[in-house]
This record gives sequence, structure tokens and C-alpha cells, in this order.
Amino acid sequence: MLDHNRTQAALKGLVFIFVLILPLGLAPPSVAAETQEMAGSFIRSLADQAIKSLTQKDTPRDVKIKRFRTLFNDSFAVRSIGRFVLGRSWRKASKEEQTEYLKLFEDLMVVSYVDRFSRYAGDVLVITRTRAENPRNTTVFTKVKTSSTGKPAKVLWRVGSRGKIMKIVDVIVEGVSMSQTLRTEFSSIVRQKGGKVSGLIEELRKKTKSLKASGQ
Amino acid sequence: MFLGAWVGFPANRAVFAVNRGLDAAFLKPVAMAYRDMTPQFFQDRINAALDNLRAPVILFNDVLQGELERAVATVIRFLINSSLGLLGLNDIATDMGIEGHDEDFGQTLAVWGIPEGPYVVLPLFGPSNPRDAIGMVVDFLIDPFNTWAGNTDRNYAVYSRSAARAVDLRATHLETLNELEKYSLDFYASIRSLYRQRRINEISNGDPSANWPAPGIGQGPYRETKLKTQEAFRTQ
Repeated sequence: MLDHNRTQAALKGLVFIFVLILPLGLAPPSVAAETQEMAGSFIRSLADQAIKSLTQKDTPRDVKIKRFRTLFNDSFAVRSIGRFVLGRSWRKASKEEQTEYLKLFEDLMVVSYVDRFSRYAGDVLVITRTRAENPRNTTVFTKVKTSSTGKPAKVLWRVGSRGKIMKIVDVIVEGVSMSQTLRTEFSSIVRQKGGKVSGLIEELRKKTKSLKASGQ
Repeated sequence: MFLGAWVGFPANRAVFAVNRGLDAAFLKPVAMAYRDMTPQFFQDRINAALDNLRAPVILFNDVLQGELERAVATVIRFLINSSLGLLGLNDIATDMGIEGHDEDFGQTLAVWGIPEGPYVVLPLFGPSNPRDAIGMVVDFLIDPFNTWAGNTDRNYAVYSRSAARAVDLRATHLETLNELEKYSLDFYASIRSLYRQRRINEISNGDPSANWPAPGIGQGPYRETKLKTQEAFRTQ
């Protein structure tokens, strides 16, 4: 008899768990799912925009660069990426240096990524899955079929969100992160310049100038 | 630590410069000619055959890593591609839905928890570290192709295969490396970072960690708490 009561109590407990606890457990994933869906369609629409404005062969390069600058500023967290890439040196830089650095960083990104971006975000981009990393970060996994080789490249888009605002914080191509690579590179230059951010700014100025001059 | 400081900066940069010179003089022109003057169809066949020849080494490492499903896939791929695929010239297994993957002993050592050690640029072979260098030697020694060539006095086969692999690999990365060289402020540092990130990606079998450090949106002042995770990716 006692056993029977116990079983009933246990059953009641189970029902309690299913009715009350489970929905609580399920609620957060559905919010995350919404963010994931938003991040996915954000990347999709970005790819569509890229095809429309960047992939036509007859568009002059300076027009493409102009369009990409707008697209880049709209969809990438440029300031945050720039700051992350500079790493520990950010705080060592003066206000003027920070401003100038960010301007040059944007310039470098625009001229150096205009061609690569249209390749990674062309019409052949297929979203394979999305994953919430934390409440503010979602990774959108895509496969991109590049023209040169047969095998599609794995391109991951790290999307940060704040409310309804979504911005790309990193692009990872075949395991290689854009932000991470730039960070290593920039810190190597700062080290070579005796830890001075001004040395890096000088190099950035030279690089962007020569890239713009080469016209390609 | 001491070793890292010793083989670190000057020697690596110097070897890197020599490798780059050799590449510009020999490998790159050959890879360009190969890419531009032979049909894509031919290049695809060569690529598939070279991949297929790696199957025993991949299998060896699949097993040592305890990746039994991947090991089975490697065996099935090898059987299908070597027979129906005409000695590996056609990657029929991928068309059938059994995709290929790569493994090497450097990755196996990593899975076993052995640290990579300092970044080293090897003459001719390029970016590496002690762990991957040991891996390369072990893979060479256990490869039945090399044993067969050695036993039958066919060392030329080993050389030809290595040369073909170098050209095939260089040709597939021509564009990427050209771009990297053009847009980098410090090509050496970019390659070093690239090498380590790719190895991390390969070791995790392309399943990137959720803890990958990344810029946050609307990031406040740089947070020290992030430094811990970033240490793992610090490339020096």
C-alpha cells in the first residue's frame, strides 16, 4: 500500500516536472531560435545585396569600392572589429591615434575585401545551419562554391546582435578568422615598431595608399 | 620557452624569406603553368588520385584517434575509388555521399594532448612546429606507398608523388596566397597566424569552438576577462 502511494507521488512529481519545469526549459531556445533565424536571413539578404551591387562585370572598380564601403559599414561592426584587432595597443593609443587608426582600418578593409567579399557572398552561398554561441552571438554556417576550385569553401559568419541590430563581427573562411589573422599581423607590426601604435598607423597609411594607387 | 625564443624571430623570418625565394623561382611558376596550361579535368583527376593515395595514412590516424566512423568511411572510400574510380582518378565516393577528410599524425598527437611547441619555419616544407614535424616523419614512415617504393628500388616514385603533391597544393592556393601577400602588412605574421588557425580547425575536424574569441558588437573598453581565451590563439 505504502509502495503504491509512493509510486503515485512519484508520478505526480513527474507530471509536475513536465507541466511546470519543461516549458521553462523550452522557452529560452525558442528566443534563441528567433535570433538564429534573424541572423540567417541577415546573411542571406547581405549575399543578395552583394550580388546585386558588386558582381556585375561592367561596374567600374571605384563604383564597386564605394558601394562596398556603404555595405561594409552597414553590415559589419567596423569599430568593434578595429578595436579588437588592435588588441592591447588600443588603450595605449591616444584619442587622435584611435580616430586615425579606425579611419585607416576601414580604408584597408574596404580596398582589400571588395573582391574577396563578392566571392564569399555570391549567389552560390548556401546556409547550412546556424548556432547560437551566447545570447549576443550567432554563427551562420555557409558553404560557398568558389569558381576556381570544385570544392565548396566553408565560410562562417559571426553575427553579433543587440536588440534588432545585427552586425557581422567576424568571417571565418576554412577555419581562418579574419579578425584573428589581422590581430596577429597588427600586433606583430606594433612590436616591430617598438610598441608604438603610430608605427602601425604609418604602415597602414602606406599600404592603403599603394593599394589604391595600384588601381586593382 | 627558451627554445621558442631561440628558434623564434630571426631564424624563422630568414628561413621564410629563403622559402619564399625558392617558391617564386620554382614552385609558383610551375604551379601557374600547371593551372593555366592543363585542362581542369586533368587537374581534378590528379587531385583525386593524390587524395586516394593518402588513404592508408588517413586510416592509420583515424584509428589512433578513435574516430571509428571516419575510419570506416576512409576504407569504403578507398575501396570504391580505387576500383570503380579507376585507381583513384575519380572520386566516386564523394558523389555517392561519402565525403573525404584528411588526417595526419601531427593531428593525432594533438588529440592525444601533446602541445604543439614553438612555431618553426622548416626549410622547403614551410610553416610547422615540433609536433607537426614529428607527425610528418611518422606519416612518411608508415605510408605503405613509401615502403613499397623503397623495397622495389623505386625511389623516383616517392619523389614524383611529392612533387605532384606540391604542385597540386600550390596550384589550388595560388589565388588565396597572392591575395594574402598583396593585402598583408606583414606576410610572415599572416602566414603564421593562418597556419596555426588552420591546424586548430583540422584538429577539431572543422568543428570550431564556441569560445572562439571575437569582437563583440558595441564593445566597451577592452575587457581583461577575454584575455584568457585569447591566450589560446595568441600567435607568437
